[in-house]
Amino acid sequence: MTESASASVIVRPPLGLALRSLLRADAIVLLRSRVATVLSLVLPVAILVVTSFAKAGNRLGDPSLVIGLALTLGLLTSCLLGYSLTLAHDREAGVLQRLRVTPTPTWTIMTSRIAVQVITNLIASIIVVIVGVILHGLTPTFLQYLLVIAVAAVGAAVFLAIGQALVGLVTSAAAINAIGRILFIVLVLLGILGGTGVLGDVVKSVSQWTPVGALMTLFSDVIGTTSWVDNDTYALLACLGYVVVFTFIGVRWFRWETH
Amino acid sequence: MTSDPDAGDVPAVLEVSDLIVAYGQKVVVEGVSFRIEHGEIFGLLGPNGAGKTSTLGAIEGLVTTRAGTVKVDGIETRQRPLDAKARLGVQLQSSSFQPELSIEQIAMLYGGLYGMRLTTVRVRDSLEEIGLGQERGKRFKQLSGGQQQRLALYIATIHDPLLLLLDEPTAGLDPQSRRSLWTRIERMQAAGTSILLTTHSMEEAQAVCDRVAIIDHGKLLTVGTPADLIAKHRDDQRVLAVAHGDVTLEDVFIGLTGSDIRD
Repeated sequence: MTESASASVIVRPPLGLALRSLLRADAIVLLRSRVATVLSLVLPVAILVVTSFAKAGNRLGDPSLVIGLALTLGLLTSCLLGYSLTLAHDREAGVLQRLRVTPTPTWTIMTSRIAVQVITNLIASIIVVIVGVILHGLTPTFLQYLLVIAVAAVGAAVFLAIGQALVGLVTSAAAINAIGRILFIVLVLLGILGGTGVLGDVVKSVSQWTPVGALMTLFSDVIGTTSWVDNDTYALLACLGYVVVFTFIGVRWFRWETH
Repeated sequence: MTSDPDAGDVPAVLEVSDLIVAYGQKVVVEGVSFRIEHGEIFGLLGPNGAGKTSTLGAIEGLVTTRAGTVKVDGIETRQRPLDAKARLGVQLQSSSFQPELSIEQIAMLYGGLYGMRLTTVRVRDSLEEIGLGQERGKRFKQLSGGQQQRLALYIATIHDPLLLLLDEPTAGLDPQSRRSLWTRIERMQAAGTSILLTTHSMEEAQAVCDRVAIIDHGKLLTVGTPADLIAKHRDDQRVLAVAHGDVTLEDVFIGLTGSDIRD
């Protein structure tokens, strides 16, 4: 310190500077997290590579469905397991408390994290689609690419909202880790396996309205040649409903500290 | 917004009035009032669970108060929390930063959050000044306890705060690090910063603090300079019962708060 603190002019920091600093730090954190890279990119690409062998691909369905599956799983894992767990760990370690004592509005802290996560998901989704169309021999139009990005944004919002709700309702990071994995399995079973009819007709009809089922419907229809049908509208409405409900839960019951 | 000492009726750096903090039904801070003047080092002393951290939490805006007011430089923290926080430097009991960031990146982040447009060169110079120049690429967890404490203090004072809040700053430090910390704190005081700290070390409180307050069971028991408190309570039977020879601040503390071990 070079001058008397009492004589200094103290102003509230500009919001733009604070937000830029947060975004830069959150981007570094996400880039340095190998788990995030694996979850958002390697897993979906692995699915595309494995299914590019004709027999496996045929069993799972047409290429647009396979790409939709890869995109959905990438978003689900990185948002539900990656985002929620990082947030829970930071809360438990006191990182969020340290940020909260700064003169930065709390919404900027959360907005920065979510924004970085969504941007990463969108970039990963574009890469996955490009890999998918190359491996599976599709030729999507520019409009289809744009629609994939839009659906990926909706998907990221759905799974981030679920992740946020999980962190809002459960305080312990270890419990969030365990519940997140169980939730992951349940959502995948319901949305993917349930959709095949293996688990019965009731589950099959429920399946398309689950977060994973609805998102896969949207992805496969925008990547494939199917024109926009009522089912897509309902799937989109279901996704938006999940975003609203789980965001409300995640914000309403979120705690910045664990005790 | 300015803090002009020549503006006539200068507000206290911190003014806590009738503060009540409760977690559910449990009241942990009950009607606490005190004020800290410009350039003053004020120690908040109390056994474990006495309400020190909750009081600090209320000032920092981490804890919702049930009643009472907290004013920082005349600014009511509930009405203008961000303006109040801009005047505070905070070192929490267990500071934690994002484990993926290097300490240089941590400094850049918090500089931005406090409105400081720091350059990499300036951050590196500052880290050099506090003896962390070689460690600038390391993560926070890779630093020793003393280094972590130095970084936490640097981050807390990165914006030249009016009031510095230190929650048990010497906990877990070796004597060298402890001495170094007090030297830095005294330097900050000389530059005009007011400091509110909690500590379990009565010797340190007696040596460093201009005034101390003893708190227990959420209530403020006594406030004054260490010498005044000793003079005021030296004939108290509870103090005399625990004193060995000359009455010290620690005797006053134990006499007023009891000898029972708190968890």
